[in-house]
Amino acid sequence: MKTFLKLTALFSFLFFASCDKDPALTDAMLDGNTIFDPSLYTPEDYLVSAKYPNPTAGDLDKHILIAVHGYSATTFEWQEFADWSVDSNYRISQTLLDGHGRDYNSFKASTWEDWVASAKREFETLENLGYTKISFAGSSTGATILLQLMHSGYFDTHIKPKHMFLVDGIVVSSIKTQSIANLVGPMLVYVETEQSATEDSLWYRFRPQETIRELNELMKEGRKELESGVTAPAGTRFRVFHSKNDPTASSSSAVLMYKGLKHADGSNIEVQMLDSDIHVFTRLALRSGVTSVQITNQQLAFKQMAEQLN
Amino acid sequence: MKNLLLLLCVLFFGVGLKAQNLDVGIRIQKTHGMYWENCITAQYTIEKFKPNNFYIGLSYVSSRLGTAMSSNALKQDNYIFNTGWNFGKEVKPLRFHARLNFGYFHAEQVSDIFKEVPNTAFLFSPEIGFKYTFKQVPISLNLGSGYYLFTGEGGDSPGTLQPLYYHLDVTYQIFKN
Repeated sequence: MKTFLKLTALFSFLFFASCDKDPALTDAMLDGNTIFDPSLYTPEDYLVSAKYPNPTAGDLDKHILIAVHGYSATTFEWQEFADWSVDSNYRISQTLLDGHGRDYNSFKASTWEDWVASAKREFETLENLGYTKISFAGSSTGATILLQLMHSGYFDTHIKPKHMFLVDGIVVSSIKTQSIANLVGPMLVYVETEQSATEDSLWYRFRPQETIRELNELMKEGRKELESGVTAPAGTRFRVFHSKNDPTASSSSAVLMYKGLKHADGSNIEVQMLDSDIHVFTRLALRSGVTSVQITNQQLAFKQMAEQLN
Repeated sequence: MKNLLLLLCVLFFGVGLKAQNLDVGIRIQKTHGMYWENCITAQYTIEKFKPNNFYIGLSYVSSRLGTAMSSNALKQDNYIFNTGWNFGKEVKPLRFHARLNFGYFHAEQVSDIFKEVPNTAFLFSPEIGFKYTFKQVPISLNLGSGYYLFTGEGGDSPGTLQPLYYHLDVTYQIFKN
């Protein structure tokens, strides 16, 4: 019994001692209180609804793609596609997930419902302005958010999106220990990600355990939805792109999407597995040692999306 | 199913030669953050080697009899061989145990699109738990929890194979020498 009490005391000490841990934030990090996502300062450079608050008939005829980034990222994640599409007929709204692109405490306090809300907000604003041709692209958790919108019946009372492009969407993590974050999270407090100094200003370096739990919850929602079966609204087409060896979002995520998600006519969604071992293969900026295969993959996805939007 | 019959043949062949006790029953298993996977388990002790403590066994659990039974969850099978140790010199109704599990995992491929997606893995997990044996009836309850140890990068192993699991075995003692 004495040994048991000693062990209990030791674990209690370790538990409470670790709970006090705060990350070492600097002003050079997005996590700090100095750098914020640029879409917060100049939303008109990122959101179609902000750039064209009084759209003309010509504006309303444009196809709008709402691009949703992933967990801990910012609008930067879709910047390459926005730059690539600069001369195209469609327009891109790069949404910033709530709780993202701000500071550590804002991130820590955010829930997955907050993340979903930002995608809805831009969609509804565009819908109210009179746009009728709207599509979505989601990378990583952004794709999971789109699945959640689809299954929740959100589009039952809204215009139906034309296309849903899911890039390295995550409903199962490649990181095996992530599934036990709910159990060990309070002891971890946060997880630090190794990334370059430049990346530090564009992605959160420190991921609070609360947000990992939220991410797990959203992924679980996604899996449950796919298990019970998701049918896209009539007229909405799904296309999934996934890295064969994604180190973050298990390629099993694409398998589950293929099995659980159908078009309104009962047909299978389109899935392309790419020869890639990076997560969110459409973002190559700031990556070191970019290969020709990675560039080919990125361009293939960009072209396929553009073909559907033009 | 063919593999399951093979496992049972191996088990009963072994039992016929040297078994002291044989417990057979159902296993209900939940992987933390993933599927329910259920089916059967068999554990037996060897007459000439620490029959009150050491035991070996075989289990087969599948999502086919769990989450995938009425959903789009992946159909996946786990074939597990285990060695274990019941702690304590005396055979009491409640005993703690530790196990080492070895096995093989296989998930359905779904489509040729995913032929390069990992869907098999070798399994290895340490496990702890306790067993309660009823006095009046030859039935035991075995509650355990284990953790699969993986090698290689996360993307190399099937995503629906997650590390932490818990199970409840309800077994019936078929014979006791």
